[in-house]
Amino acid sequence: MMTSCRNIDLGTSVLDLISCGCGRRQFPKTVCKIGVTRSYGGGGNLLFIRRDVGRSCKAVPTKPKEISLVNGIGEAAKTVSFDLRQESSSKQPISLVNLFGVVADDLQTLNDNLLSIVGAENPVLISAAEQIFGAGGKRMRPGLVFLVSRATAELAGLKELTMEHRRLGEIIEMIHTASLIHDDVLDESDMRRGKETVHELFGTRVAVLAGDFMFAQASWYLANLENLEVIKLISQVIKDFASGEIKQASSLFDCDVTLEDYLLKSYYKTASLVAASTKGAAIFSRVDTDVTEQMYEFGKNLGLSFQVVDDILDFTQSSEQLGKPAGSDLAKGNLTAPVIFALEKEPRLREIIESEFCEEGSLEEGIELVREGGGIRRAQELAREKADDALKNLQCLPQSGFRLALEEMVMFNLERID
Amino acid sequence: MMMSCRNIELGGTSVLDLMPCGCSCSSSPTSRRILFGNRSKTIGRRSYGAGNMVFLRRDSGSCRAIPAKPKESSLVNGLGEDKTVMINLRQEPRKPISLENLFEVVADDLQSLNDNLLSIVGAENPVLTSAAEQIFSAGGKRMRPGLVFLVSQATADLAGLKELTVEHRRLAEIIEMIHTASLIHDDVLDESDMRRGKETVHELFGTRVAVLAGDFMFAQASWYLANLENLEVIKLISQVIKDFASGEIKQASSLFDFDVKLDDYLLKSYYKTASLVAASTKGAAIFSRVESEVAEQMYQFGKNLGLSFQVVDDILDFTQSSEQLGKPAANDLAKGNITAPVIFALENEPRLREIIESEFCEPGSLEEAIEMVRSGGGIKRAQELAKEKAELALKNLDCLPRSGFRSALEDMVMFNLERID
Repeated sequence: MMTSCRNIDLGTSVLDLISCGCGRRQFPKTVCKIGVTRSYGGGGNLLFIRRDVGRSCKAVPTKPKEISLVNGIGEAAKTVSFDLRQESSSKQPISLVNLFGVVADDLQTLNDNLLSIVGAENPVLISAAEQIFGAGGKRMRPGLVFLVSRATAELAGLKELTMEHRRLGEIIEMIHTASLIHDDVLDESDMRRGKETVHELFGTRVAVLAGDFMFAQASWYLANLENLEVIKLISQVIKDFASGEIKQASSLFDCDVTLEDYLLKSYYKTASLVAASTKGAAIFSRVDTDVTEQMYEFGKNLGLSFQVVDDILDFTQSSEQLGKPAGSDLAKGNLTAPVIFALEKEPRLREIIESEFCEEGSLEEGIELVREGGGIRRAQELAREKADDALKNLQCLPQSGFRLALEEMVMFNLERID
Repeated sequence: MMMSCRNIELGGTSVLDLMPCGCSCSSSPTSRRILFGNRSKTIGRRSYGAGNMVFLRRDSGSCRAIPAKPKESSLVNGLGEDKTVMINLRQEPRKPISLENLFEVVADDLQSLNDNLLSIVGAENPVLTSAAEQIFSAGGKRMRPGLVFLVSQATADLAGLKELTVEHRRLAEIIEMIHTASLIHDDVLDESDMRRGKETVHELFGTRVAVLAGDFMFAQASWYLANLENLEVIKLISQVIKDFASGEIKQASSLFDFDVKLDDYLLKSYYKTASLVAASTKGAAIFSRVESEVAEQMYQFGKNLGLSFQVVDDILDFTQSSEQLGKPAANDLAKGNITAPVIFALENEPRLREIIESEFCEPGSLEEAIEMVRSGGGIKRAQELAKEKAELALKNLDCLPRSGFRSALEDMVMFNLERID
């Protein structure tokens, strides 16, 4: 059921009636786009964000007026809440598509560039690239680069994303994708995001070559950005990736793994790249170092929160939802937060893991023990803790639709486990 | 039979006593090493004041004694001493130059490199240590780091540098890590089970360890590279890593393609081999802080040497036995990798085209093909190509002052050609 929004006065522009379509659950893209329209004069894009709380809807300008940009001061978010008729109790979760609506064009350009960079060399690589690029990737990292770029842009009086910002987004997504392709070879996984992995479909050789090619391209583009700070930042990430893989590979089925080990491994494998994305974006926005450091911490805390949530979902979702077999971390001996917490309570769990699930039904028993032992619950607390830290890191940014979108990223991640 | 060298007056300030240079001692490589190696250490380094001596044997039956490190004063002047004395020996059978000899003057540097490499790679994990030992100790020649050190020293004169810098050493380590990582991954891609007479890493430890070890080494190399903080070198080496991947793709997509031309082959060889050698030599010159024309000449030297080297490797694949190669002979052809000898022979032998197209499905067809490469003049013309590139490489060295290091670089070029004489 559609609800019309009344006239909204947002500083210096007046907006006509817009249908925000809150009652229409099935077309989140359309909703965003209706907001994202050019006929509203100088207001720029509008972002409609739906919330659980009171089933109300906020309309927020994502791009403050030009004047505000130059002043360096963002418009304080003038939001108007609308009461909607009682909707059915099913939740309206935030979707990444909505969050990234404001950087949708940037992401589209990124997609096109990535396919052309990777595919230009060889038809087999194109197919491999399409397999992995087309397999429903969320583009979370480049999305973060673009959002942080725009959120920090104000502080530095920047009006547009620079070429460096865009290149950084591409480099980061190439590194991420290359690591996924190689990870799948290392883990011998045959499914990812509901599709076959590259090595399952094209063989190990193509997978190794495609990954190497993407790492190489990323390194070359990185070098040609000619920014030593960013070059060192990203090279550290590539080193961390390798260290994380080694750390994980050498501690499979090791019940003595501590929470610190897990957090370090999660930092190497996930949070390091996210932190480099957000900090790199801030560097190219030319903001002060305290802000870039806060952006680094934001990325790191968000990345850790994200990884913990991923690890929870491996226990709570079905294979169809995951796009790969459920409980596969545990099955492979990769002991994550829920397991580490549960191991403190359930000695039987230790036995089963040490047996490497050789007995029939022991994996299912293991999963059950993780749930009963409070493993999921305590992992959720951990995820929330990191999320809170991440939100604090955003305080140095001026209020804007972009900062709000970053806050929503943090919440979106947590909602995956509500 | 030992022969004494007469007193040699080498310009300035030192007089050398009689010393046996042992040129005629041909019994075993070990004894040669003792004479050139350890003894040159004791004799050359300590008792002769002048630093290391390099004894180079030549075809022409004579022996030259050249100071490897010119006098301090010459370094400061930027002019190398160039006084050599010819000594006539009794007729001996040819003694090929060995890399060991050539690199004797940078032996300590190479030893430090070896130690550092093992500790960088092995520090993380015992499995990686084993993988690292498998590949690092498997008889690698350390040609690329050797080149970095020799070019560093040879260009040092021009810039008034007295010692290798930390950057030079780091560059050599980075280059050897990249080279080794690419070998490990190449063996996965080619599904090779032997290299240098030992099992490949993935044959012994599995594909997963091989992929991980290669990724780890590439990552370490990238990190050290970034921390050198020299944008020119960072871009230079990143280009190489990109070229490696392009070369692998190029090769993989033209297997059994008999329409491949010489230019394609040279481009692929550039991507896969010469690019890294050129970056080694140019990078060394950059860190010696010489002028850009010299750095460019060093780039061309490395490129031509690298191409010559690759052509020779491709010839040896046809002319050597499996024992000599340390891997199955005619491996390239069997896998459909069409190299210079084959490209030349294809111009003369239509039957060869047929066999390659059939991908050697018939028994005995591979042997037939190898024979046709030989009879079709493929080997001979490839040798000419290798020599042509070698000549170009020698010319590129003209910008360097004469020194033992420059001579060693010239000998590198000759050493490579001697492999196919």
